[in-house]
Amino acid sequence: MSATLTYVRINLTRILLIVSAASALATWYFVSPEVDAIFNEINIWNINITTFTLFSGLITISLRYIRGIQQRSSDVWPFQAYALILIVAWVILGQSFGMYSDTYQTAFLSTKITLHIAILGQLIYFYVSGAYRTFRVKTLRTAALALSAVLIIICNAPWIQNTFSGVGEISYWLLNNPLTGGSRAVVITGAIGAIVLGLRTLLGLEKGAMRVTEGE
Amino acid sequence: MKIPELKSQYVWATIMILCYILPGFVPLGTPFPMSTTTMKIYNMIQALPDDSIVVIGGSGVFAFDLESSAGTIPAIKIMAQKHIKIVNLPLATEAVQLEKYLIDASRIEKKYGGTYEYGVDWIQLPYLAGAPGALVSFLNDIKRTCPTDVYGTPLDQMPLGQRLKDYKDIVLWICPHWDFVTIIQYVTGERKIPSVSFAQSAAYSTYSPYMMTYPDKVFMTNGFLGGAQMEYLVGMKGLGHAVIDGNQVFSAVFLIFVVLGNVTWLANKEKKEDKK
Repeated sequence: MSATLTYVRINLTRILLIVSAASALATWYFVSPEVDAIFNEINIWNINITTFTLFSGLITISLRYIRGIQQRSSDVWPFQAYALILIVAWVILGQSFGMYSDTYQTAFLSTKITLHIAILGQLIYFYVSGAYRTFRVKTLRTAALALSAVLIIICNAPWIQNTFSGVGEISYWLLNNPLTGGSRAVVITGAIGAIVLGLRTLLGLEKGAMRVTEGE
Repeated sequence: MKIPELKSQYVWATIMILCYILPGFVPLGTPFPMSTTTMKIYNMIQALPDDSIVVIGGSGVFAFDLESSAGTIPAIKIMAQKHIKIVNLPLATEAVQLEKYLIDASRIEKKYGGTYEYGVDWIQLPYLAGAPGALVSFLNDIKRTCPTDVYGTPLDQMPLGQRLKDYKDIVLWICPHWDFVTIIQYVTGERKIPSVSFAQSAAYSTYSPYMMTYPDKVFMTNGFLGGAQMEYLVGMKGLGHAVIDGNQVFSAVFLIFVVLGNVTWLANKEKKEDKK
């Protein structure tokens, strides 16, 4: 890619980012129908772009799978073929009957959702089997781990909450205090990180985000 | 005495019999406590003005969100008794199917013997890509963001659709999906609309701090237990009641296996020390 094209692409992206970010921030500080209208317009673009991304993603993954099936370069090609057939089948089903039809809903619930729920239901087996083997009080650290898990299970067990009225309050106290402290720390850290990342991107310090290194 | 280590198959078999098969075939009807938050949600929905508009929407995956439906279905039943209008807004691809499931399962439509008519009492909007930006846009200008329903009918051609302008028309937001934080941030935090989530157990522990941040504005129930509590208040037995037996047995089985694991380890440890 030529240096000029790279320069244009980087700065065009930067301008788009600045305009979008500024319009969102402006709605916080200015009560104006015009400011709101600009922000809404950009949001509508965002919806359209994301919808288009879904469509282009469908094409990209289909092309990738077709290439994999043609070349048979890895062991996964039968799964790629299976996935490709399912993608086509679901698109045809959705287009023929409509996404909100009873037929589509029945097909969706009977296959994808049932399987997904079954997979989620299996977690309980691994969880208990894992608890049996790992929550053994061998050291202080494993004791802390085991006690934390047992405490949460006890406090959240409805039959224990029902028998001992104070247990429910302990459970909510644990959720609302020690957990809140940890969660807030994570949320605040993430927010500060997002602000810093945004500033670095706008200042051009995060070159990877604008694919600037590609032109080098 | 040396206690043999349990094979995984035995653990799996025990769980399957006690937590899945037994409660499935022989409902135990185990009691469960009521929570003040669930009571508050119930009272709040009961206190909503008749004919007001509630949005049910958000972003998540169907199989995870099924846990939320245990509480959402009874909530929809209460709203139907009060003729509250419902607008479904899916912000994830599978949310469309979950929201259809919620309406179908609550049996509020005329075709199921209820009183609700599509377009008049409830509307299903199409999947809106690009959340949370799409959510903000929806709140600011509903028709501009979402000019048609899921069938492609313009909102202006439906009595309920004609009433939808912006967030000021919404009195309550119910999120039956995983991503409740986005709803809290833009719906409750910025626009002061109360929000409710019949949250999955895993989501509850993550998002419960927000109930402290926005007291009496953000409400969450806890997993299937919360669903069973809502069902009890409405006077129905649904998914929450069906699962609560398994939930009860699981908590006891989990503790038994943790104790058993420690007893096995201690017994075998002593045996090894004796050998030395």
